[in-house]
Amino acid sequence: MPGKDFLALMLKAGFHRVALRRYTGFKSSPYTEGALFFGEKPAAGQTRDDAAYEAELPAAPITEPACKPGGT
Amino acid sequence: MTPELTATEIQQVRQGIKDKYDRVAAAGTGGCFQYPTGKAGMELQGYAPEVLQYFPLEVLAAFCGVGNPFSLEPLNSGDAVLDIGCGAGVDSLVAAHMVGAGGRVVGLDVTPAMVERARASLSRLGLANLTFQVGAAEALPFPDNDFDAVISNGVFNLTLDKEKALHEAHRVLKPGGRLMLADMVLVTALPQDQAGKVENWFQ
Repeated sequence: MPGKDFLALMLKAGFHRVALRRYTGFKSSPYTEGALFFGEKPAAGQTRDDAAYEAELPAAPITEPACKPGGT
Repeated sequence: MTPELTATEIQQVRQGIKDKYDRVAAAGTGGCFQYPTGKAGMELQGYAPEVLQYFPLEVLAAFCGVGNPFSLEPLNSGDAVLDIGCGAGVDSLVAAHMVGAGGRVVGLDVTPAMVERARASLSRLGLANLTFQVGAAEALPFPDNDFDAVISNGVFNLTLDKEKALHEAHRVLKPGGRLMLADMVLVTALPQDQAGKVENWFQ
């Protein structure tokens, strides 16, 4: 799932101040990369902040060789 | 929900994830992940040197997270924390160390073998403010408004019903509570011959 879709799900679940703060550089495939998400459950009486922040995707991921056949 | 998957495919995904993490529980992280794991992975993700020095290398070796949730915001002393999909429990142990004796941490994982491994690490360290239990992200076995923070590391991407899992995380958080998670996301479109493949769920 793309990060922006996950942010939308976080808002739908009731979180606010949602953000994809940054990517981590760890990739599980050529198509996927780790990302750090933050969200907060609004406090009683607090005005919701539904703006979603999404960090830019950086360059050069950190990787190790792929799993050997038969591995996971 | 996951309307794009058939009942058979959903079962295949669940079994594939279980098989993968049963292997990780039995044999460790080596060769199972395409990114650095263990202490090296934690160092790259900026875990505090004090944390890395505090825990035995054998405990840190079980780390297979995709990022560092604690880098988002620090936990507070005395916080109640839930670690969803705790695996071998490395982040739960770190959280228990951070919140101190006045705090409370629960590590939850769907794979019994991983929970057993987490409990083995806990027994070595004797942290009284930490427990581990088996359970799923989509049906958290906790009351409403129970935790100050929910953390997770590389788990929601494996969750079949992400919307329900997020609703559950929201439910168990106290008002003002924080969700801090690291997870795998799609950064480029899958080629057509890869899209929808069951294997993508537990790659």
